[in-house]
Amino acid sequence: MDRNYHVFSDGRIERKDDTIRLVTDGDEKKHLPIENAEALFVHGQIDFNTRLISFLNDQGVALHVFGWEDYYAGSIMPERGQTSGQTVVSQVQAYDDTEHRRELAASIVSGSIHNMRSNAVYYDSRDRDLEAEISALEQAASRIDDGLPINELMGIEATARKAYYRTFNEILPEEFRLSNREYNPPPNEINSLISFGNSLVYANCVSAIRATALDPAISYLHEPGERRYSLSLDLADLFKPILADRVLFRLVNRGQITRDDFETELGSCLLTEHGRETYSKAFEETLERTVDHPNLNRKVSYQYLLRLEAYKLKKHLLAGERYEPFKRWW
Amino acid sequence: MTETDPVTRLLETARGNPVDNPFRVTGVMMQYYHVCKRELWFESRNLEIDRENPTVVRGTRIDNTAYDENRRNLHLGMISIDLLEDGRVIEVKPSSALTKPAKMQLSYYLWYLEQIAEVTTDGVLAHPKERNRESVELTDERKMKVEDAIRGIYDVVSKEMPPPAVEKPFCDSCAYHDFCWC
Repeated sequence: MDRNYHVFSDGRIERKDDTIRLVTDGDEKKHLPIENAEALFVHGQIDFNTRLISFLNDQGVALHVFGWEDYYAGSIMPERGQTSGQTVVSQVQAYDDTEHRRELAASIVSGSIHNMRSNAVYYDSRDRDLEAEISALEQAASRIDDGLPINELMGIEATARKAYYRTFNEILPEEFRLSNREYNPPPNEINSLISFGNSLVYANCVSAIRATALDPAISYLHEPGERRYSLSLDLADLFKPILADRVLFRLVNRGQITRDDFETELGSCLLTEHGRETYSKAFEETLERTVDHPNLNRKVSYQYLLRLEAYKLKKHLLAGERYEPFKRWW
Repeated sequence: MTETDPVTRLLETARGNPVDNPFRVTGVMMQYYHVCKRELWFESRNLEIDRENPTVVRGTRIDNTAYDENRRNLHLGMISIDLLEDGRVIEVKPSSALTKPAKMQLSYYLWYLEQIAEVTTDGVLAHPKERNRESVELTDERKMKVEDAIRGIYDVVSKEMPPPAVEKPFCDSCAYHDFCWC
C-alpha cells in the first residue's frame, strides 16, 4: 500500500520533470516522491495549476484539501478507469430496498459499537474504571436490529457514541476534558483533536472507496447528500476508534501533544501547525501498522483494511455474499 | 418452455443472428472455467481485478513482448486471438503451471474459428520464459470438451451467486485473491 504525504506549509506545489516539488513561501524547495504516493494531504494555503492535476491523475494520486479550521474541504481524485454502471445500480437498489438498507446500516452500527467497545475494554484493562461505559455500549449493541428504521439505528449509534466519549475523560489527563462533543468550530482541545482525526479517517476512506468502482455518494447509514461522499461517513464510523482515537489517546497521554499545540481564538480552539504535524505523523505510522488477517493469511496494514472494507461492500452488493462489518479482532 | 442449448445460443450470438438471450464466452472465461469457477463468476460480472497484482503485471508484460514481430492480433466477435504468419493460433502464457486451462482456451479459439470463420487451423501454446512450445490440435474429443465446457460456463454464470470460495494451491497469486477472501 502506498503512502500519504502531508503538506502543512503555505506555498506552491508544482510538477517538476517527472516528480512533484513543494516550494514554500520561505522559498524552501522539497521533492515529494510521487511514485509511491497514495494521496497528498494539503493543510496549508497552496497554489497549483492544471498541469499538476493532470500529472497527479496520470500517477493515480489523490489530492485531499483541508481548509479553514482543518475541515475537510474536498478531494481531487484520479480517474483510474474504475467506473462500473452495474456497481452503481446495485448500490442504488440496496439503498432503495428498505430491508436491505436497514440490514447494511445495522451492520455498520454494530461494527462501529464493537470497535468503540474494544478501545474501552483496552483502557479498562489499563487501570481505568470504564465498566459503566462498557456496559452502556453493550446495551446499545443489544438493541441493534435489522428491522429498525434508519433514524432509530442512528439513535442507537448516537447513544453508544455518547457513552464512548465519556471514557475519554477517564482515559485522558484532567486538562483534556471533553465536556461535550462539539464542532463547527471545536470549542476546546479535545474536540479539535477528535475533529482533525476524524477528517483524516474520512479522507482515507474516500481514497479506499475510489479504488473500487463504488460511488462514494451512495450510502446506507448516513443519508446520501449529507456530505458529498456520504459512503465515506459510513465506512469512517467503523475505523475512527482504531485510527483516530487511539492516536489521540497515545499522543496526549505521552505528552507528545500538550495544550501548547493549540491556538484559541473567538470561541474556537485549533491545532497549531506543529500540533497537526505531530498528529499526522503518528496517524500515518498507525496506517502503516500491520495485523495478521485471518482470511487472507498474511499481514495487512491498517490502511489496507479500509480498502478491504470497500471490497467487502462491493462483493456483497454484486455477489450477494453476506457483508460482515470490520470488527477489531486483535 | 425449453431452454435453448447454450452452444447453439453462443453460435447464434456470434453469427449476429437475433437471439432472445445472447450468450458470449471469451477465451479468458474458458480458461477461468478450468482454473476456478468462482473466478469465472467474478469475471462475468466485471468484478474487481487487482491490476497491480504482480502475476497480472508479469503476464501482461510477457504477452506484450513475446514473439512480437511474428504475430498479429485479430478480433473476431467474442474472441481476440494472436495469429502466426503460417495461420496458426498462438497463445502465450508466462509459465506452464496451468497447462490444461490454457489448452482449453486455445481449443476454444480453434473451435470458434472453425464454426464461425470456417477456418481449420492448429494452435501453439508457448511459454517463452521456458523456451517451450506445444502444439494443440482440434480433435473430435477436444471439440466435445469445448462444447461441454460452454454448457458448464453457462451454468456457472447464470447463477445468482458465485460458487463458494475453495482454497487452491494457486489462490495466493490470483488477482481476485483479496476480493475473494476478504
